[in-house]
Amino acid sequence: MLSQFEYIKPLVLDEALTFLAEHEQTYILAGGTDLIIMLNKNMIDAKYILDVKSIPDLDVFKFTEGEGLEIGANVTVNELVESDVVQSKYRALCEAASVLATEQLRNRATLVGNICNASPGADLPPSLLIYDATVKIASAKGERSVPLRTFFTGVKKTLLNKDELVVSVFLPDPGKQDNSIYLRQTRLRGHDLSTVGVACRLNGDGKVAIAINAVAITPLLLTDLSDQLNAKGLSEESILWASEEIKKHIKPITDVRASKEYRSHMAGILLKRCLGQLTGKEV
Amino acid sequence: MAQKAENKACAMTTAHAESMERRVRLTCRVNGQFVVEDIDPTMLLLHFLRDRLKLFGTKEACGEGECGACTVIMNGRPVTSCLVLAIEAEGSEITTVEGLAKNGELSILQQEFIELDALQCGFCTPGMLMSARALLDRNPDPTDDDIKEAMSGNLCRCTGYRQIFDAVKKAAKREREELKRS
Repeated sequence: MLSQFEYIKPLVLDEALTFLAEHEQTYILAGGTDLIIMLNKNMIDAKYILDVKSIPDLDVFKFTEGEGLEIGANVTVNELVESDVVQSKYRALCEAASVLATEQLRNRATLVGNICNASPGADLPPSLLIYDATVKIASAKGERSVPLRTFFTGVKKTLLNKDELVVSVFLPDPGKQDNSIYLRQTRLRGHDLSTVGVACRLNGDGKVAIAINAVAITPLLLTDLSDQLNAKGLSEESILWASEEIKKHIKPITDVRASKEYRSHMAGILLKRCLGQLTGKEV
Repeated sequence: MAQKAENKACAMTTAHAESMERRVRLTCRVNGQFVVEDIDPTMLLLHFLRDRLKLFGTKEACGEGECGACTVIMNGRPVTSCLVLAIEAEGSEITTVEGLAKNGELSILQQEFIELDALQCGFCTPGMLMSARALLDRNPDPTDDDIKEAMSGNLCRCTGYRQIFDAVKKAAKREREELKRS
């Protein structure tokens, strides 16, 4: 590791925000499963590493009936997997969290870190997008909340300013009759990144939301597609239509994991499987 | 003099030449032993265990959390020590493969790895043992799928995994029987 950083571990949020505002080349450390790889490979030159794990404000992990679930920046992926609320209310998120990387990494990696790293193939964003997640952001100047669908701006890029830190992600209470699913294609059954992953939600009003990863420069919430599908109504026919139509809404590339044609094809197959399982229709 | 030259070469290959100025104090427990050391903040937990504490059981291979050879148990959970800064272990409880044997006797899990030939070159074995130990600590009666999932972050290039899987399963059974007897 070439970086000769100083290690800072503030105990209150304000202290962290002031430090961020006043020091360039500061990198935020939560789980470290992306950051420490970048440090090990000398991909970044860090002057300061700001460890946020001792800030109690970021430990929040609280569900309020009728409102929703707030997931703080220090909540690890395995804490999501083990949470009764996530299991019962946000099934797709539980499924995505349980296939993310390996047991060892899930014990360190955080949900907020997964979105801040902004990999187009990250497993968690589709399952957050279908629940209209919002991101709570803080800086020394104040707080703001943005919808997650506007948070990603490119490959490994977000709308976060350098002096800002994500405090938490908020998921509205989906209500009772809600169900969701996350399916992904990988090259092998064990530990692999998603070649393409689809999350679908069927809410209490029978409306569908669809999100997808690894087929564009950012994870995508496919609102046009789901609007059209909802207008048609859910049937075996419309599901088959959507699994073809989805190919017009994505821009996959060819890389080491798959060709763009395969990604496009699998996007359709996964969508069909997701909707089939959610509706109980045989497609 | 020869000793000095050797140390220097060693420091250069481990790629974390320590700075004397920016030392931070690390206090933790490793295999039940209280440890207080002044370290460079850029030092990884993996290198702290190996280079400082001379616990060479924990192995370095990929350095990016893919292979699991550096797995240790930190506060009851398995983690890849190549992706943890040593200073992040402040106040924590670490168990390495050296902490598994008690009073000079190998643990049931280690005995079963030997018994069922769950290793060939042995390089991945400490990581395998730590993932398995963490699994059995939180789930003494795992299903076959639980074992596969818990071990999927550990790569082995020799055995083909079957013997490892069998060893974990048999160790779980023996541990449960032992518990009933006691």
